[in-house]
Amino acid sequence: MTKTRQLNGTVLRIERSSIHDGQGLRTVLFLKGCPLRCIWCSTPESQNPVPEKGYAKERCRECGLCVEACPAGALSLDGESGGLQINREKCRGCFACVDKCPSGALKRYGYSMSVEQAVAEVSRDEIFFFHSGGGVTISGGEPLSQARFTAAVLRECKRLGIHTAIETCLFAPWEDVKMALPWLDVLYADIKVMDGALHKKLTGADNTLILENLRRADASPYNIEIIARVPMIPGITDTGENLSETVRFLRQVKKLKDIELLPYHRLGTDTYKHLGREYSLKGLFPPTQERIAERRRFLAKLME
Amino acid sequence: MDRPVQKPEYMERIDRLKKRVFSTRPEIDLENARILTESFRQSEGQPLVVRKAIAFRKQCMEKTITIWDDELIVGCSGSKVRGGILCADTCWSVLDDELDTISSRPYDPFYLKPEDKKAFEEEIRPYWKGRSNYEEWLAQIPEDTRVLRDNGVIYINRKAVRGWGETTAGYEWLIREGLSGIMSVIEKRRSALDLTKPGDYERDYYLKSLHIAAEGIIALARRYAVEAEKLADMETDPKRKKELLEIAGVCRRVPEHPARTFREALQSLYFYQTCIFMEQNAASYNPGRMDQYLWPYYKADLEEDRITPEEAQELLNCLWVKFSEPCLFQDAVTAEFAAGYPMFQNVCVGGVDNTGRDAVNDLSYMILQATMDVQLYQPSLSVRYNLAKNPNSFLRKVVELMSLGTGFPAFHNDEVGIRMVMNKGVPLKEAYDWNPCGCVETNLSGRMRQYTALADINLGSVVEFALLDGRNRKSGEYISARTGNPLGFKTYQDFLGAVKGQIRYITRVVVKGSHVIDEICMNRPVPALSLSFKECIQNARDYAWGGAKYNVGNGIILIGVADLINSIAAIRHIVYRTKQATMTEVLGALDKDFEGCERIHRLCLEAPKYGNDNPMVDDIAAEMFTFIADEIEKYSSKFGRMTPGILPVSGNTPFGLEVGALPSGRHAWKPLADGVSPNGGTDCNGPGAVLKSVANIPHDRFVQGTLLNMKVEPDMLSTANGITQMMALLKSMCSLGVFHVQFNVIDSKKLLAAQKNPEEYKGLLIRVAGYTAYFVELGKDVQDEIIGRTIQQSFVTG
Repeated sequence: MTKTRQLNGTVLRIERSSIHDGQGLRTVLFLKGCPLRCIWCSTPESQNPVPEKGYAKERCRECGLCVEACPAGALSLDGESGGLQINREKCRGCFACVDKCPSGALKRYGYSMSVEQAVAEVSRDEIFFFHSGGGVTISGGEPLSQARFTAAVLRECKRLGIHTAIETCLFAPWEDVKMALPWLDVLYADIKVMDGALHKKLTGADNTLILENLRRADASPYNIEIIARVPMIPGITDTGENLSETVRFLRQVKKLKDIELLPYHRLGTDTYKHLGREYSLKGLFPPTQERIAERRRFLAKLME
Repeated sequence: MDRPVQKPEYMERIDRLKKRVFSTRPEIDLENARILTESFRQSEGQPLVVRKAIAFRKQCMEKTITIWDDELIVGCSGSKVRGGILCADTCWSVLDDELDTISSRPYDPFYLKPEDKKAFEEEIRPYWKGRSNYEEWLAQIPEDTRVLRDNGVIYINRKAVRGWGETTAGYEWLIREGLSGIMSVIEKRRSALDLTKPGDYERDYYLKSLHIAAEGIIALARRYAVEAEKLADMETDPKRKKELLEIAGVCRRVPEHPARTFREALQSLYFYQTCIFMEQNAASYNPGRMDQYLWPYYKADLEEDRITPEEAQELLNCLWVKFSEPCLFQDAVTAEFAAGYPMFQNVCVGGVDNTGRDAVNDLSYMILQATMDVQLYQPSLSVRYNLAKNPNSFLRKVVELMSLGTGFPAFHNDEVGIRMVMNKGVPLKEAYDWNPCGCVETNLSGRMRQYTALADINLGSVVEFALLDGRNRKSGEYISARTGNPLGFKTYQDFLGAVKGQIRYITRVVVKGSHVIDEICMNRPVPALSLSFKECIQNARDYAWGGAKYNVGNGIILIGVADLINSIAAIRHIVYRTKQATMTEVLGALDKDFEGCERIHRLCLEAPKYGNDNPMVDDIAAEMFTFIADEIEKYSSKFGRMTPGILPVSGNTPFGLEVGALPSGRHAWKPLADGVSPNGGTDCNGPGAVLKSVANIPHDRFVQGTLLNMKVEPDMLSTANGITQMMALLKSMCSLGVFHVQFNVIDSKKLLAAQKNPEEYKGLLIRVAGYTAYFVELGKDVQDEIIGRTIQQSFVTG
């Protein structure tokens, strides 16, 4: 017990009183690190397993304090395009620059946290869990990419009577999935696209392992609910064909409670800029409310 | 959510009644003052309270009587739909100072007709000059109180510039017994007097004054009956003719006699309400627990098939429109502290009954529905929610009303309210019957006397004085306690000691002023109000003189709670804990309003803030507000222990104008935080964390109430899941011991404001499943997209 409590995880952020990530009022632990690279990802700062920094040029006053502070000489202000140039190869990840930044242009993504600290943080809202039936949701990134940490947090929460859930893509060794299952009330499983080749193209990985993990989780002796989540990427995952295939597969999942559509949005595009990365879906527009409602009805019909 | 697709038929009438309120411009109404003046000229030589009663009766007998089209419930304190009436005897001179500006002043203007101005100059002013309570106050205000008042450190004129208010009359008794019943109690008490005994002469004329006031109210109702009959005679529409005859019948019956029906009870209540307002213009005459005292009448009507629920709802809605007609007249400065013609007629539903069990009944729901239907600014609707006793169906209806975004109802934690009233000296048995008063104060119908909000203390000034050794930043003068040069504060405790020293000094100065006002208000008897307070009759002592069953020391209100906590936290964090800057540097930056001191300003802004469930900050909240409650409770007036409360109305804005830059990072002369709410934009961990922090203030001890404003994401109030979670959030708030909350929904307007002033909206979260971000940290194009989508759907939270 003591050992796992001292185990550390890398946390991106913690969000409290959420009503969007499971039943009741929830505390959501976003972990860092994801094995997939979905082209629509809205949280690119969660992909890299180690802490990193973002830079918002529009907030930068080019005061140079960060350049002075950097021990690795990774920063400069003399580029042609203006603003701070970050040599991410040279950066040692000490975050001295972030500490010095007076304008909030430089931002740190990710910090280390022990199981004990994470559980203490979650426990702060136990009164809200009590009245709402809420609890903790571990999300990401990919919670199973830090499976030992995730399992330890879940176990401690369970012990304190806190309802538990994870949001996972299930692209993880079965051993890692298995570690979390005993302490879990709800498993949110992302089923992005059924066609294996397309899956690889869109996320960087084949979906065989994902589907196999879901079957095995379903066959496990634990009393968990499975809720499948399908990202609704217009013209890509929300086609009649993909949704039909998804439902056909999920019909075999006995613990399945529901299938949710998560509409595509572009709220994370700034973060790509801040990380110095390209957002590949630039021309794609989020679905309209009417389209979302129509697809939800379509899905509901398939599930009948 | 279930919303009626079609409006019920009765809403046609209500909409017409509402339209009249909307389309009428508030006007000064001097009829009342003219009659009072004339009566006082005629009654020279009589005891003051008798003269007041005679003047009141004359007002009742001579005032303009109007029954407007469509009305079912009738009555009006003045002669105009939306009149502001002046209590000449209390504060005639307030209008004198504003004769030329009142029509156009920025806060709560009143149109003053030339003929009214003339009446004021020729009749009212010449008689009252030198005789009003306000002039007595100006002559007697202690010097140190005056200095702090004039520098915006305290606001203490409120009760000198208007009448009593802040009370809950004995409506239940009045409706049940009628004035005839009350008059026989008065007469019985009077007949037991022996005029050869010392003191009994005073009691005799006092009781006589109550009798005169009761006669006035009866005469007024009869005049309405006559008017209704006259109108019925002329009416050609048979439907309206019938309504007018019903009105006449009701007005002949009540409030003289006991009400027999729901409608009679409502009319009796409203007549009395207009009368006590007529007697003394003031805010916060609170009808209180209407779902309790009207329930027997409604229930009997239903059982006897005298009324349908729709008819009862229509009557309630008619009354609701009436509550929105009168406009509080107050001077320009007071209006700034509480803008919006605020009548604060607080109606309350829910809570527990006199056995301590669930008190929710059909009327509780219908009263909530009335506010949903009518959606005007009055009555102020409050909920006493008892976590253990009240049903979920009630809580759900409450949340549905919240979702309309009118700011109603004010949600009160019943158990804390009960404890507050007990802490005022009321035994539990009676404390079960408490009701919210005015803004968030606590009251007890027909039994309690106090000014719930006598004076406000500016906590921003408190911090400023601690950092300037009692010097006023604006004037440069030393006007408060000399608590030492802060450069000499070696430890955090030294600094905290100075803050406490300032609070100690300012509290003393307020208490001195309060005692003067208490003394002046002995000359402000209110026989019409007092006659529904049983003990006023029993003791033959007016409400003003402490005749009520429970007499409580005046309320002292704290404004700028978050500014105080955050400023102390910032000094502790920056100067004493992390030593990121010295006291000299911080003081220098405050002197310059942070101009050219970006580093210090950033340290101040980034220091831990109240509202984030941060233990270091929350410890300060607990310590300081325990200290403040102790400090205020150290003093008593001749009526009882002084009482603390935290309710700014809008006083945080004018107070802010007097306070320079603060260590919290707030710029000079900006508004202070409201109530117990965090400073705008500094709460970054969602509503749960706000409630956790706010719970560190010992709410129960701030017996005049604590006020919390919270921002909430639209989803919390518009989706089925959101409403369920809102109910859970409210229950959690009760478990945490927070007293009150009301919600502002984050709409596209607020998002646009956040785009313009990101500093004030730092905590604004954008949330969807699996994604969160702070709004102000997003680029403009993404912000615009969110604003566009918020209009149709939403994913934003406070």
